[in-house]
Amino acid sequence: MTPIRWFMSYLKKYRWYMISGLCLVVVTTMLALINPYISGQIVDDVIQGGAFDLLPKLILVLIGVTVLRSALRFTFLMFFETSSQGVLYSLREAVYKKFMKEDFDFYNHHRTGDLMSRQTGDMDAVRHFVSHVIYFSFENVLLFLFALVMIFTVNMKLAICMLVVLPFTAFITYRQSKEIKPAFGRIRQCFSSLNAFAQENISGNRVVKAFAKEDFETEKFNKENDAYRDAQISSSNIWRRYIPIFEIFSNLLTVVLMVVGGYMVIQGEMTIGQFVTVNGYLWMLNNPVRQFGWIINDIQNFVTSIEKIYSTYKIEPDIKELEVPLHSERVSGKIKFENVDYYSYDDVILRDINFEVEPGQTVGIIGATGSGKSTLMNLLCRFYDVTDGRITIGRVNVKNFDLHSLRGSIGIAMQDVFLFSDTIEGNIAYGNPECSFEEVEKAAKIANADDFIRKMPEGYDTIVGERGVGLSGGQRQRISLARALVKNPSILILDDTTSAIDMETEFQIQNELKTVGKDRTVFIIAHRISSIMDADQILVLDNGRIVERGTHESLLEQKGYYYTVFNHQYGEFDEFRAHRMEERGDQNGTK
Amino acid sequence: MARNKFDQDESLEVKFDLNQVKRLLKYVRPYRQKMILTIALMLLSSALGMLIPLFLKQVMDVYIPEKNMKAIIGMAVLTFLVILAVSIILRIKITLTSRIGQGVIHSLRRELFDHLQELPFSYYDSRPHGKIQVRLVNYVNNLSDLLSNGIVNTITDLCSLVFILFFMLALNVQLTLLCMCGIPILAVLIAFVKKHQRRGWQISSNKQSNLNAYIAESINGIRVTQAFVREERNTEIFNRLSGEYRKAWMSVIKYNFMLSPVVDIISVITMALIYYIGVEWLKVGNDVVTVGTLVAFSSYIGRFWQPINTLASFYNSLLTAISYLERIFETIDEPISVKDLPGATEMPPIKGDVEFKDVDFSYDDGVKILNHVNFKAKAGDTYAIVGPTGAGKSTIVNLISRFYNIDSGQLLIDGIDINSVTIKSLRKQMGVMMQDSFIFSGTIMDNIRYGNMEATDEEVIRAAKTVCAHDFIMEMDHGYQTEVNERGSRLSAGQRQLISFARALLADPKILILDEATSSIDTETEILLQEGLARLLKGRTSFIIAHRLSTIKNADCILYIDRGNIVEKGNHDELMAKKGEYYKLYMSQYSFLEKTPEMVGQN
Repeated sequence: MTPIRWFMSYLKKYRWYMISGLCLVVVTTMLALINPYISGQIVDDVIQGGAFDLLPKLILVLIGVTVLRSALRFTFLMFFETSSQGVLYSLREAVYKKFMKEDFDFYNHHRTGDLMSRQTGDMDAVRHFVSHVIYFSFENVLLFLFALVMIFTVNMKLAICMLVVLPFTAFITYRQSKEIKPAFGRIRQCFSSLNAFAQENISGNRVVKAFAKEDFETEKFNKENDAYRDAQISSSNIWRRYIPIFEIFSNLLTVVLMVVGGYMVIQGEMTIGQFVTVNGYLWMLNNPVRQFGWIINDIQNFVTSIEKIYSTYKIEPDIKELEVPLHSERVSGKIKFENVDYYSYDDVILRDINFEVEPGQTVGIIGATGSGKSTLMNLLCRFYDVTDGRITIGRVNVKNFDLHSLRGSIGIAMQDVFLFSDTIEGNIAYGNPECSFEEVEKAAKIANADDFIRKMPEGYDTIVGERGVGLSGGQRQRISLARALVKNPSILILDDTTSAIDMETEFQIQNELKTVGKDRTVFIIAHRISSIMDADQILVLDNGRIVERGTHESLLEQKGYYYTVFNHQYGEFDEFRAHRMEERGDQNGTK
Repeated sequence: MARNKFDQDESLEVKFDLNQVKRLLKYVRPYRQKMILTIALMLLSSALGMLIPLFLKQVMDVYIPEKNMKAIIGMAVLTFLVILAVSIILRIKITLTSRIGQGVIHSLRRELFDHLQELPFSYYDSRPHGKIQVRLVNYVNNLSDLLSNGIVNTITDLCSLVFILFFMLALNVQLTLLCMCGIPILAVLIAFVKKHQRRGWQISSNKQSNLNAYIAESINGIRVTQAFVREERNTEIFNRLSGEYRKAWMSVIKYNFMLSPVVDIISVITMALIYYIGVEWLKVGNDVVTVGTLVAFSSYIGRFWQPINTLASFYNSLLTAISYLERIFETIDEPISVKDLPGATEMPPIKGDVEFKDVDFSYDDGVKILNHVNFKAKAGDTYAIVGPTGAGKSTIVNLISRFYNIDSGQLLIDGIDINSVTIKSLRKQMGVMMQDSFIFSGTIMDNIRYGNMEATDEEVIRAAKTVCAHDFIMEMDHGYQTEVNERGSRLSAGQRQLISFARALLADPKILILDEATSSIDTETEILLQEGLARLLKGRTSFIIAHRLSTIKNADCILYIDRGNIVEKGNHDELMAKKGEYYKLYMSQYSFLEKTPEMVGQN
């Protein structure tokens, strides 16, 4: 599908608006020709001719026509505006829906500000096109054709002479269209880039300030700002060459009339009256030609924008549902990874992963930074597809479920917590917006968040900033955990969700978690042994492979990575025990 | 804490009045000469344009009857020269106006950006970022045409209006007055509609801002959205916001569309009036009008109303632009609460002594966060800050960088009040690593180098090695040249923390602040990291907020914060011996592990 055809499919819905709008344009254009005629009559017949009786009638026609024309014009403007806003609404929705569907890989390769430009700046060019350019071009073409027909009826030879301008106009049109398009492409590109830069600068404002890099940012911004300005100016450098040419062509018609018309009158091929008549129509020929250059600009700007929108829109996500996906209200917690490999482009991220989990079990995952722990969970949620092997839930390949069933049954608290600029309640209820306040509160209590939320000035109604600005890391993690719990998922994934939470609180949370959802499968990714030591099985990941597995006890016996990590952390425990012994000693002593 | 979310309209504190249009002209002033030149050329061009009908008339009335083909051709050549001149002027006009328009919005945007860089955290924290962005990019763009073509055309139109008025008055005073009686009617109608229009455009720009904020958040939060299968619900919200924008737009655009028909109707009515009264006068046969004047006058009426019509459309775009402009000015006027005091000096090279003297602090809401905080940190020492959630740990370290102003008391570095030095010279000597590690889109190399732009590649790599990031970076497809983006999505959380750690180190700060900066880093790496770090921390004063007791224990001094105050201070052994809050915290961290002591014993 071409971008234009894609656009037309949205415009189709408003075709009746468009068609009636265009009909009204025809009528108003006709009506616009009446008034000069009436005025002429008033001047000729009434004022000069002395036919005073005609005046009231003519005046009434004059006013009547103007009122009618104004009303019709207003109507068609509203028609086009309605169509434009309607098309825009559907286009925005279509693009937004596509954004919602695109997979993680897409987002790894697109900047937020770039994507936003598709929905803002580029859409605006589409709005302008439907609401203004369409009828405006039509009006002008109509006037031009109308005048041409009139001149033809007056004198065919003269009309043909005037048509000589047309091929040149067509040629210039072609040249301008061709040359201006890349310039508009550059403008859209620079706009997008400026937008992306602004977006990042605003999001990263804390880092900018912390490193006192305002000057550096300003310098970079100036480059973007300059580039945008220069792109605009260099596009004007192109059309400033063409628009005056159309101006010349437009006025050249007067010269043609002067010379050819004059010659024909002198030769007696035309009367002076006809000459005057043609002159009267000349403005209808002039003006459209004069507008041509501007119309080309508008059209090319629109084409560039719709192409840009469509090029983003048409990217299909790799993660797709089957034609007839399997629906399940709640997938089970029985999970099996069979010979799973995952490559991201050429990098091996996971290799030969095999494990099995029964419903209700807890799996602990530990391993170095970047060893593939999060990826393992991303594959389970099908944020990425395995390169090789398969993942099954209740013996069904995850690829066979519809995404709603699959992800709807998995509650995940991600390692970097993203909160929305909404109330705390709204954030917790994100996965289940219809849930009651009691459910939100219950989840918050399990996540050990209820206390600190209640201490905030507006409690659950406190609006948190984007990314949870204003909350500490531990607070954000607990809200994110509560958010995962509200879904009441059959599979719960805690991806390093407790790293900023102290051990005691974490311990309480884990105890609470055990009391709810007995058949829930839980994955815990953590760096602290204490977070995962109770798990039914523990997987140790290194460089994308499972290098050790077992329970806490069996892993300690293996004396591998797990054992080393334990010892580092256990050293601290040793000291604790010494204090504890001492404490007991004190107590014994006082007894 | 935030005050505004994506679907709430922002209120406007300052009402826009025409005085602020003057302020707008400030941005046009540098282009005054270009502007005047453009206007002069435009006037010349319209004067030249008027010649063409005259030439044609000459041909019709004189040369054709004379059958003087030579003269006609001569006239045609003359006409062509005029056309050429008009076209050249048009070309110059396009050149000048595009430079003026783009130049003005360029400098307006620059001023806005500069101001945004100065605005403190609290400004960014209190509203969705998409709403700041829409002002900087989209709103500003909307002004370019108004500030170039708009102004030029308006002045040109005003000139031609005066010109025509002059001719009309010369022709006939009474008829001119008749013609002008339409103006007050127009003014009244405009004033009547203005209220709705102003309000309407304000609503519309607000809705645009909301939509923008929601798009930004939807993209940034896409992972959560997909994980929580909220796509449909979000689409509903998006459609609601998009629909509100559409509704606001439709309900205000009709006023814009009304203006031109209203001008047309008023003009035709005055025209009718002139014909009617003119003809009545003719009938009576008084000397007020003659047939000739009435005929001539009738051709002027159209030319009188035509510039008024274009002025009306300028007025429309002005009203639209004002709704954007007032938002832009509002941001520029936003007071900078954290700024250099008059006479602020450069911070001399920091040795690293930090002192809090009776420091009180509260955020905007007035809730006291810190209460008479007093402590001295010795240069080169490591301070761990511990305490319950919400006790004010992050606040304390944020104050050292002067991210916020303290309410009372003094904060001294090397005995110098940090309020008396420039913010930049202060922050440049500090390395701060925050809770969330923001990654800019660009290469990993660029991201680390952000800490010190002058650093060579070797220095960057050395910093990466120190924080144990080198290995994983080298494993990526393009090593240090691997492109990452703002969501840092190709990096794990731990990797991102290591990168921002390297970034902080590269700044070679005398004071290093780590605010929950290593939470996602695994134990092995952390141990390696600490070896490197021990060397690095030498000679630097550092403040560390962390939950890992291993990190805390090694600190020279531990500050236990509760309810905005330091309740305990000392090194690990001292505080353990004291058996106070820290002791309780420490013991509670492990008490639950006691259930498996026998197993620990086995090893």
